[in-house]
Amino acid sequence: MIRTTNLTKTYYPGVVEVPALRGISFEVRRGDFLGLMGPSGSGKSTLLHLLGLLDFPTSGTIEINSHDVADMDDDERTDYRLRKMGYIFQDYALVAELTVLENVMLTVMAQGKTEDECREASREVLSTVGLSHRLGHLPRELSGGEQQRVAIARSMVNRPIILFADEPCANLDTVNSKAVLDQFHTLNEEFGQTIVMVSHEEWHKDYFHRIVYLKDGQIDRDEDRRGH
Amino acid sequence: MNETVIRLKLSFFLGLRSLRRGSIGSLVMTVVIIGMVFTNMIFLPSVITGAINLFVEQTIEYQSGDVLIQPKEDVEVISDLEDLLARVNRAPGVLRAAPHNNIGGVMKFKGSRLAGSVIAIRPRDEVLVTGVSGKIRDGEYLGEGDTGVIIIGNYVAGHKDKSEDLMPSLGGVRAGDSIDVEFTNGVVRTYRVKGVFETKSYMADQSVFITWEELESIRGQKVDEATEVLVRTVPGEDAEEVKLSLTGMGIQEQIKTWHDLLGKAFAQVVQSYGVINSISTIVSIVIAIVVIFIVIMIKTLNNRRQIGILKAIGIHRTTITYSYVFQVILLAIMGIFFGMLILFAMDRYFAVYPIRFPDGDIRPAFTLADIVTNAILLFVSSAIAGFIPAWLIAREEILTAMRG
Repeated sequence: MIRTTNLTKTYYPGVVEVPALRGISFEVRRGDFLGLMGPSGSGKSTLLHLLGLLDFPTSGTIEINSHDVADMDDDERTDYRLRKMGYIFQDYALVAELTVLENVMLTVMAQGKTEDECREASREVLSTVGLSHRLGHLPRELSGGEQQRVAIARSMVNRPIILFADEPCANLDTVNSKAVLDQFHTLNEEFGQTIVMVSHEEWHKDYFHRIVYLKDGQIDRDEDRRGH
Repeated sequence: MNETVIRLKLSFFLGLRSLRRGSIGSLVMTVVIIGMVFTNMIFLPSVITGAINLFVEQTIEYQSGDVLIQPKEDVEVISDLEDLLARVNRAPGVLRAAPHNNIGGVMKFKGSRLAGSVIAIRPRDEVLVTGVSGKIRDGEYLGEGDTGVIIIGNYVAGHKDKSEDLMPSLGGVRAGDSIDVEFTNGVVRTYRVKGVFETKSYMADQSVFITWEELESIRGQKVDEATEVLVRTVPGEDAEEVKLSLTGMGIQEQIKTWHDLLGKAFAQVVQSYGVINSISTIVSIVIAIVVIFIVIMIKTLNNRRQIGILKAIGIHRTTITYSYVFQVILLAIMGIFFGMLILFAMDRYFAVYPIRFPDGDIRPAFTLADIVTNAILLFVSSAIAGFIPAWLIAREEILTAMRG
C-alpha cells in the first residue's frame, strides 16, 4: 500500500547536518495497525510526516499504491491528504473557532458535498465516537479525551485509506488513552482501517499488529505481532 | 461542484466563523478604524467641495447672475441699454436682466478714505437678479428712484477698531451715517447710508450701490449704457441654453455663463483642490492598508499553527488565504457602513451648524458617487491588504507552520 525505498531525511538547522532518517525501506500493508516505536529522536514522527505527505524526503522514494508521490505537485498532495488520508495529532489540532460538528464537517465540505450531506456524515461519525451530545461545543469546552475523539471523528469522516496518528495519547490520562486506542482497534478490526501510529508507551504495543522499531533514524527491527 | 466555488464557500465558512468567534475587541477596533478612514476619505474633500460650491453660489448670487453680458471687445460700455434690456427680458428662459454701471470714486468717513467702485443699479430689477437685497444686516435696501442714499458692503463699512477688519475700510460705518463720495468725474456727494449688507462673499461685501437715478444725477444726463448686465434665468433653465438664445437674437455683446466667467482660473482652483483631495485620499488609503495589513498579519501569525493544521488535513492554501480575505471584506463592509453613519450624522449636524469661514458658511458636500467611489477604493485596498499577509503565511511549509 505504502512502500518506502531508502528514505532519508536530513535537517539543516544551522551549519550542522542532522540526519533524522537514514535509508528507511519498508512497507505499510492494507489493514495494518502499525506502531512506530523507538526512543526520542529516533525519527518516528519524521517518518510519519513523510508517509503522510506533510514533508518531503531528502532522498529515497515513497510509493502509495505503486504511485511515486514525488510526481505529485502541491495541489495533488493537498487533495490526496484530504481524500485519502486522516491525521490525528498529539495536541488534537482542532480549529479553535469551529464547533465540534463544524470541525468534522470541514474536510467533507472541502470535497464539495452539500451542507446536509456534510452534517449527516459528521453527525454519524461523531455518534460513533460518542460525542452526539457535544456537537455545538467549541474545542475549549471539551476535555482532552473528548477533543481527541473529535480529531478521530474528523480524520475518519472522509473514510481515508490510511490513518496517521502522531502520539495521539501523549496528552491523555490512561483512561482516555485506552478509550482512544480501543477506538482505533475497533476501526481496524471492524472496518479494516489501516492505521500508522507513533508511540513510545510500552503498553500500547498490545494494540498493534505490527511494530517498526526505529533507532538513530534506521529500522532497528520490524516485528509482526499478529500471533501475540 | 466547481473547485473554485467549493473553495470560496469553505473560505466564507471559515472566515465568517473566525469573525464571529474571534476577539470582539479586535473586530470592533478594526471596524471603527476603517469607519474613521472612510469618513476621513470623504470629509476633507467634502469640505473643499462645499467651499467650491459656496464660491460658485456666491459668484452667481452676487456677481454674475446665471448669465453675464459684457461690452464688446475693445469697448468699455454697453450702449443702447434700454433696447438691449427689452430684448434680453423677452428672451426665453430669462427671468430678469439687471444693468450695472460702475463708476470710480473715493469714499470718506471721519478721516478714513477708501477708493473703489460705486455701482449704479435699478433696485426693482436687482432684487430679482441678485441676492444682496436679502442680506441687509443694518438699515434697508435701496428703493426704486432713491437719491441721496447709498448702501455699502460689510467690508467697506468695517469696524471702529480697524484691527478687526480683513481689509481697508471706512472704520465702522452704520446705517444712518453720512459718507462723502468723490467721483472720478469730479462730482462730490454726501450720502446717507441707507443700509449695510453682509453677503459673506469676499467680493460682494466690498461693493457699494447707488440707484440709477442717482447716477443720472451725478452725470447730469440720462444714462443709456451699462458696464455689465446680469441675467437671472428662470429656475431650472440651463444657462448655456439661455446664452445660445441671446446669441441667436443677434446680441453683439459678450455673453458669458457663470461657468464661462469662472473659466480657466476656476478650473485651476478646482484642479488644485483635486490634488489636495487625491493626497488626502491616498493618505487615508495608506492608513487603511497599513492598519488592515497589521491586523491580518497579527491574526495570521497568531493562527499560524491553525493554518498549518488546516493544510495538513487537506484544506487548500487558497481556501485559507481567501478565508482571511473574506474576513477583511466583511470588516470593510462593516467599517464602510459605520463610516456612512458617521458621515450622515455629520451631514445633518453641518446642515444646522455649518462651518464658519470668512467667505461664508460652508456645508460639507458629498454625493452618492463620492461614497460609492471611495467605498470601492477602500474595499479593494482592504482586500489587497488582507490578502498579502494571509498569502504569505498560507505558503509556509506545513510542519513549519504547525510548529507555530
